[in-house]
Amino acid sequence: MSNYWPWWAGAIGLALVTISYTLTTDRSLGVSSAWDRVLHWRTERHLERLDAQFTDDRALTDALVAATAEHFGTFPGAPTLPNAAHEDATTHGQDVGPTSGASAPVASRRPAPVVTQAALLLSIFLGGWVAAVTGGRFKLRFDMGSGFRELVTANSTTMIGVLFIGGVLVGFGTRLAGGCSSGHGLSGCGQLRPVSILATAVFFGTAVLVSFLLWKVI
Amino acid sequence: MRTRGGVLVANIIAGLALGFTVANIGFGDYAELNRMFTFQDLRMFLAFAGAVGIIVVVFALIGVRRTPGRIHAGVIPGAVLFGTGWAISGGCPAIPIVQVASGYLPALVTIAGVIVGIRLCRWANAKYFHLDRGSCGL
Repeated sequence: MSNYWPWWAGAIGLALVTISYTLTTDRSLGVSSAWDRVLHWRTERHLERLDAQFTDDRALTDALVAATAEHFGTFPGAPTLPNAAHEDATTHGQDVGPTSGASAPVASRRPAPVVTQAALLLSIFLGGWVAAVTGGRFKLRFDMGSGFRELVTANSTTMIGVLFIGGVLVGFGTRLAGGCSSGHGLSGCGQLRPVSILATAVFFGTAVLVSFLLWKVI
Repeated sequence: MRTRGGVLVANIIAGLALGFTVANIGFGDYAELNRMFTFQDLRMFLAFAGAVGIIVVVFALIGVRRTPGRIHAGVIPGAVLFGTGWAISGGCPAIPIVQVASGYLPALVTIAGVIVGIRLCRWANAKYFHLDRGSCGL
């Protein structure tokens, strides 16, 4: 089990993924948000269509305003377009909350299209599979390994229950906190966001406490 | 790269690299995870903390703007639930995917739990919590 990467290689790998994702997409990497949006794809697709419609409407209005200005000239204090509804419809679903502004990286108000987030989850599977196979660790099995057996349970029915409850806690908790170890932990802490630092400290602290209980007490 | 195709390619590359990296660090290995959380082995902790350190420096150098986010009532309870779930099941939302990809079939149950939890959170938030956006994707 010692063929895992040294810590510095892991650090560089995680940092490269987070930084390149932010620079190429103008968005924060967040796996729990991707899950959330893929699982609610019907709602998300509907919102995306509304968003596209708003964009079309706005382009049409912009063109009309430009044509009018060309014809009649411009006046100071011309009415500006009401954008509140549009922005309201596009700030949903960000793993690390709504963003503002449009000039610097991580400034996009729109979440990545839901199709691309489904692709993210599938690619994580592929990447993990390649790593397991090339590292000689791939093995189909019906248990969670010796660590889980010793620390949590050796009974397979109990194991199923623990994994399911643990999964529910992870799913519910990450969405309630607004992010997970990638959204809050890597992207958020990397930006020194107070909410992400707080969330990371709390989930890490809790995991330490529970892990000590499993190791020493239970 | 702001086009739909560009974002798709970026997500595929990020997913492949994230899955590959997370699996090679050993986050999918429950024994390694417990050793990290009980400070018996600092390797994975240093990988995570080191990554955050590099990201802080690079983001500061290239002037990445901080995405604003309010500390709302769901942050601490959500993080406590997540931390507990992570410690007992060994999964944050990406890890069970990597575990299944490594051959740990019971992690499919963890994924089922994550799916139920995420759907439950959005439903509960709409019905009871009414927390601000950024939580439960609302």
